[in-house]
Amino acid sequence: MALSLLSRSLAGLLVESSSITHQRTFSVSAVAAAIQKMTRVRVVDNSSLGNTPYHRAPRVIHVYTQNGIGKVGDKVLLAIKGQKKKALIVGHKMPGDRMTPRFDSNNVVLIEDNGNPTGTRIKVPIPTHLRKHEGEYSKVLAIASAFV
Amino acid sequence: MNILTRSKKLISVFKSSVLLDRTGVLRSVCSVPKARKDLCLPPLFTTNVPSCQHRHHLSTLNLDTKRLYSEICTESDESTKSTGVFREESQEMESDSSALNQRPPEKFTIDVLVSLLRQENAVDICVIKVPEQITYSDYFIVVSGVSPRHLRAMALYAVKVYKFLKKEGAPNVKIEGKDAEDWMCIDFGDMVVHFMLPESREVFELEKLWTLRKYDEQLKSMPTETLPEDFIYDGKVTK
Repeated sequence: MALSLLSRSLAGLLVESSSITHQRTFSVSAVAAAIQKMTRVRVVDNSSLGNTPYHRAPRVIHVYTQNGIGKVGDKVLLAIKGQKKKALIVGHKMPGDRMTPRFDSNNVVLIEDNGNPTGTRIKVPIPTHLRKHEGEYSKVLAIASAFV
Repeated sequence: MNILTRSKKLISVFKSSVLLDRTGVLRSVCSVPKARKDLCLPPLFTTNVPSCQHRHHLSTLNLDTKRLYSEICTESDESTKSTGVFREESQEMESDSSALNQRPPEKFTIDVLVSLLRQENAVDICVIKVPEQITYSDYFIVVSGVSPRHLRAMALYAVKVYKFLKKEGAPNVKIEGKDAEDWMCIDFGDMVVHFMLPESREVFELEKLWTLRKYDEQLKSMPTETLPEDFIYDGKVTK
C-alpha cells in the first residue's frame, strides 16, 4: 500500500516537472538589436496569415527606412508562408527612448498595401507613443485592445 | 491691404468655390455670382479686389460658419439681424438660423464635428466617449458613407473646418488612409474620426471594440496564446 502511494505521488511529481518551463541556472542575454533583414518576428494580430502554423517563422526581408534598421512605427516586408506581406513594427526587444516600453519579442502587425490592417484585433499591448510618430497609425491603434 | 485680409480672402475664395457648388442660395444674394465662380475656382492671390467682391467674400466666410451654427443651435428663436448685408442671405437660409447673435464656435469641439458630419449626410454617426483610463483620446467617432467619394469629401470638409477654427499654434491635421478607399481616419488630438464604408465597418466592428473593451466577441474568439512545452524563459538560445 505504501509503495502504491509513493508511486502515485512520484508519478504526479514527474508529470508536474515536465509541464514547468525549464529554468537555467545562469543568465543569458540575447542580442538586442532593432529589427533588420532576416530577423524573425512575431505577428500579433488575429489574421489567418499570421496565426496559421508554418514550418518557418516569419522573417523580415526588407525594412522601409533610410538605414535598414526598423524601430517602432516602421514598415517592413515580411516573408510569411511563402508569400510577401507588408507589416508595421509595434514593439522590439531593443531598448528605445527613455519612458517608452520595451517588449520581450519583436512584435509586428500585418498590413495591406493601402495601409489597412489585415487582422481585426490585437491582443498584445501597443505602445501609445506610436501616435506621435509621423505616419498612418490610427488604424492600428483603433483595432488594439490594450495600450502600454 | 494687410496680410490678414488677404489670407481671409484666400480662405473665403476657396470656401466660396465650395459653397457655390453646394448651395443654390448664394446665387440670389450677390449680383454677379456666376462670373465670380470662374474667378474663384482656381485659388488666386487676388491683388486688385473690388469692394463688392470683398463684401461678398466676407459674407461667404460668415455663411460657411453660419451653416454650422444653424445645425448647432436649432432651438434658439429668431433674433434681430445686426447688419443689413447679412439680411438677405439669412432670409434664404432655414428659418431657424439665429446664429448672428450667437457667438461663433471658437474651438473645434465634438459638437462642431458632429454637426458638420450631420450636415454632410453621414450615415450612422457613432460617438463613443473613451474612458479616462485609456489615454488615447477623449472621443472616438465612427462614421459611414455612401461611397468612397463621399468619405473623401467628408474628411476634406472636416479638415477644412478645423483649419478655419484652429488657433495659430495648433498643429495641422493629416488625413490617414488616403490611398485606401474604404477607410480613412483623422486624428484631432482629443477626437479621432474614422470614415469607413459599411462593408469594412462590419468587418472591423470598431464600435463593439471600443464600447466593450475586454469583453469584445472577436477578442474572446481569438485563441489564448500558450507557451510551447520546450520554451526556455529568460534568454534566447543562440545558434
